[in-house]
Formats: sequence, C-alpha cells, structure tokens
Amino acid sequence: MINKTKFALVDCNNFYASCERVFEPKLEGRPIIVLSNNDGCIIARSNEAKALGVKMGVPYFKVRDMIIKNGIVVKSSNYPLYGDMSSRVMKIIGQYSPIQEVYSIDESFIDLVGLPFHLINHMQSLRQNVKSWTGVPVCVGMGSTKVLAKLANRIAKKYTRFNGVFDIDELPYERYCKLLQSVEVGDLWGIGRQSAKKLNRIGIISSNDFYQADIGVIETLLGVNGKKVYQELYGNSCIPIEAIPPTRQQIVSSRSFGSDLNDFHELNQALTNLTRKAVYKLNNHKLATTTITVFIYTNPHKKNKACVHLSKTIGMTTAIKDESQIIPLISKILRLIYKPGHSFYKGGIVLSNLVKNYPQQDLFLTNEDNQRNIDSSNKSNAIRLVNKRFNESLKYASEIGNDKWRPRADFKSKRYTTSWTELLVI
Amino acid sequence: MNIHNHGGARKGAGRKKNSGNFKEQTKVIRVPISLVDSITPSIEVYKSQVKSGIEVLRVNEDPVKQLIPIFTSRVQAGFPSPADDHLEDTLDLNTHLIHHKEATFFVKAQGESMIGAGIHQGDILIVDKSLSPKSGKIVIAVVDGEFTVKRLHKYKGNITLKAENSEFEDIKIKGTDELIIWGVVTSVIHQYD
Repeated sequence: MINKTKFALVDCNNFYASCERVFEPKLEGRPIIVLSNNDGCIIARSNEAKALGVKMGVPYFKVRDMIIKNGIVVKSSNYPLYGDMSSRVMKIIGQYSPIQEVYSIDESFIDLVGLPFHLINHMQSLRQNVKSWTGVPVCVGMGSTKVLAKLANRIAKKYTRFNGVFDIDELPYERYCKLLQSVEVGDLWGIGRQSAKKLNRIGIISSNDFYQADIGVIETLLGVNGKKVYQELYGNSCIPIEAIPPTRQQIVSSRSFGSDLNDFHELNQALTNLTRKAVYKLNNHKLATTTITVFIYTNPHKKNKACVHLSKTIGMTTAIKDESQIIPLISKILRLIYKPGHSFYKGGIVLSNLVKNYPQQDLFLTNEDNQRNIDSSNKSNAIRLVNKRFNESLKYASEIGNDKWRPRADFKSKRYTTSWTELLVI
Repeated sequence: MNIHNHGGARKGAGRKKNSGNFKEQTKVIRVPISLVDSITPSIEVYKSQVKSGIEVLRVNEDPVKQLIPIFTSRVQAGFPSPADDHLEDTLDLNTHLIHHKEATFFVKAQGESMIGAGIHQGDILIVDKSLSPKSGKIVIAVVDGEFTVKRLHKYKGNITLKAENSEFEDIKIKGTDELIIWGVVTSVIHQYD
C-alpha cells in the first residue's frame, strides 16, 4: 500500500535510566528510578522498577522504604547529561529523513514519505545505529499519521517480537480495532486528561469507542483538536510535522528551593542563579526580552498556614538580553515584592514578550551608551566563556551566599559529557 | 438615508503593505534637533542594508571564537600580499580527531596498565562508539559491569584483553564472562605539566 503520508515516531526507551546505564553499565538489568529536581518525585523508571510497581510522579520520601528494601538504584536528575545524550540521539535520527521534528527530549517524529527504502529495514538500521553510537535503546512506531505513529510506538515497545519497530498501517481492520480496544482513550496522543473525562462521561472509554463514535459528537465535545485526533485514527493526516520549532513565547526558570528561605539575600541569590539560566537560554535562541516577571511563594501544602504568593511583572521600552542588565532588574523587582516573615519554598522568573535580537540599539541612546552596551555584551560573553571552560567559576556577587536554596541532588551522577572535570574515569 | 456606491476606500488601491524602504511598518516620531544628525546615518545605513538584501548582523557577534588562518602576512602598503590568493582553511583539531561527532566521548585514563600504548595516568582518551572493534584495536571494554581499557585480541574465537605493561595480567574472556565493547579508542591526549 502506498500512503500519501507516512510518519515515524522514534522514542527512547526509559531515556533517563538508559543514559545512566551508558556510563554505569553495571546498572544494566537492575531497577533504576530518577528523581525530579530537588529529589522530590519519581520522574523516570527503568522497566525493572516499573515491574516492581514503582509509580510515576510519587514523592520519593513516601516510598523510600520500599525502594531501599527492593534494592532499587536511585538517581537525581542529571539534565546536562540527558540533554547532551538527547542531542546526539536526535542528530543521528535526523540522518534517516530529510524532515525531522524533535518533539521532546526523548522523542522525535520523522517524515518517511517518498523515501526509497524498505521502511522496516530503514528503521531497524536507525535503531541499531542509535544504540551502537550512543548506547541508548530506541523503539520506532510507524503510521500514516502522527497519532498512529505514536500508537504504533507503544506496540513496538510492548511486544518484543517486533524487535523495536512496528508499522501500524500493516494491521488488518479487525486487529486494528482490537488494538484500539486495549488502549484507553486518554492514552491517545492529543487527548488530554480533561478531554478523556468528558469522553468517559458519555461512555467512550477505549480508543475503539472513540474510533467508532460519530465525528459530530466528537467535534461538539472536544472541538477541532479532538476532531483532528479522530481523523488521524482513520489515517487522514491533520497534524503536520513541525520541522522548525515555533519561536519561544516565554522563558520560565523556576525551582523549589532545597530548604525554605526567609531572608531577602537568600532569595536574591537563588533568583540570580535562575536568571542566569534563563538568560543563557535567551541568548542561545538569539532573543531579547521586554517583559520580566518575578514570583515567590510559600508552601501550599503546609497545614495551618495560608499560601502566600507574591509576584510582579514589569515591561521595558527597549528589549534587553544581557545578564548584566537583567540581573539587577530582577533584584529590584524582588525588593519590591519581598515581605519578611514568610518561609518561601519556591520562586522563579519569567522572561516574556520575546523579540528577535536585532543589532539595533535604542535610537535615543548616546554613542557613549551604545559603547557601554557593546562593552557589557562583550563582558557577558567573556563571563560565559570562562564559566564554560572553568566549571561555573565566575558568579555575580548577588549569587554568592549560604547556598541554602540549592536543590538537593544527593544521588547525582557525573556530567560525563559536558564537563572536563567530570569525565568518566577508566 | 442616502447610500453612495462611489467614493471611499477601494480594494487594492494605494501602496502595498511593507513595500517601503524598510519592508516593514514605519512610525512617525518626534526627535530633538540636536540628535537628528546622529540618528539619520544609522537609519540610512539600515535602509541600504534592507535594500540590498544584506542580512543585518550584529557586530562582534562572538569575538573570541575566531579561528586562526594558517597563512598570515604583513600588510605591505600598496602591494597586495602574494599569499592572499593561497589563503586556506583553518586547522581544527576537532575535525582531525573526531569523525563521528555523535558517537565520540572523552574519558579519563586511570592507572598504568596501558603505558606501553602511550596511555598515562590522567590522559584523556577519545573514544568512538560507532567503530567496530577489530582485533588489535585499543578498546574500552565492560567486563562483568566494570570498565577497563585494553588492547583487544581475537584469535580463533578466543578473546583476550591485553594490557600493555608487563606488571599487569591480560584478561582472558571465559564463556561465563559478560563482555561488552563500549567503544574504540582512536586517540590519546597527553598533556605535559
């Protein structure tokens, strides 16, 4: 059968756990869990950990005894490592199709239409190449739409007999319906939790119920996006591949602190660090910001204490992109919203109304001002380079302090691929 | 009420949107006379850049990341340098040492077992995971879950990981051992203190 459209979804198997195993091969076959920032919740599990009944999203402290009893290996999240491994994997996947959409840190859609290859073999070769080049195992699902490719990927992962590659378009009608019967409607790509609830209320539980339902009903209930998913199940491609990621609308950098913060300087220290991270992203995307938000709040889960949420947003006439301009602003805003006597447990900043970073300077600045801007941008470049080379050794004064805010990462592996001082030692 | 069907806006009339000098919307602003002379030139420069279709680049984008050309010559007033026609590409160690970027990892050597192969304590090894481990290559191997760097020997189905230091024993792989070749060492970087 010749399809008008054909997509593959390449998804890494238990990506975070797999990355840890590449640099610690003795973890092969052992149950692993990875914790969120600040060692809060379980955000990734190896197959062995899943088999032991460890649930996703559960706070670590609630299941600690069970984890220890079962000898499960615990890792703090190591995003520098996962990010680097992800970019390697994505680049290799990109060699297998001219059109690629990097969908998340561990998933990528590729367009397979018109490729002069036997597709199953082509995808098997992709799979083997990613594994041997990076050590990360992946599975491939194929279908004539993105929803179908995503569904096919589940099958490729679930049944070992497909050897990691499955083409859902090959399935006869009855088997296809049976497969849909076994997948809850909320597990379809594009059907969120709220949509699933609405569907369940009218008796649509499985994906097959959804597939057999009337298109008018679906559209009334879920709107155009639900209709798209419905049509994609019928093989009509409605969701195109997004090869060029949409321009970022905003950059958020926030974090729950290692311990509650009361003091202004402690908060300022944390926010300075978060700001540097946000500005780093801003510069990477060659963007500048015109609106800045700072927010801090107290723990909403504490009994007998109302949650205090403080925030302020300011706008600027000129877009700025330089940390030496943004960091002092953040401190100023924090000074405006800060109230003593509270224990703040989380805080962050948002850079929004992002614009392309044009060289144009504010026309009303004098030459001297312009020169100062160029100088400060050179200074920031220099700081960035020094920090890259020497392991974050230069800091803004406002970032230096007691480090009380620093998140817990008691089980963190090394940054094997992004830091000269943390290479794998053999 | 009178209904006129003449006059008023006509579709398609007037200047096309974004067809002006700047290819985007413009705005009238009030400028202090003392600043006119310093503002006009930058607008004119921008105008000519837009007109010529030149992408407007930021000056000094990344001043530190300048590669050094192989040929340099002093500028002699009036005479072009004879070497200018022969200006070649710059040398980049990355392209020389790394052939499969996505599959290349750096690791640090520990111990003296490969001193004969020029691998010293603390050296950085460049490891390519994409290469197939042929006999005689220096490899990063995983034996029963532990990393080691040795020279791989395959002979008649027997696999030995050979040390290059007589004080160290070779590792003969037995049937029950689990051996994974993690990658092939392609270079060693030894830095003098």
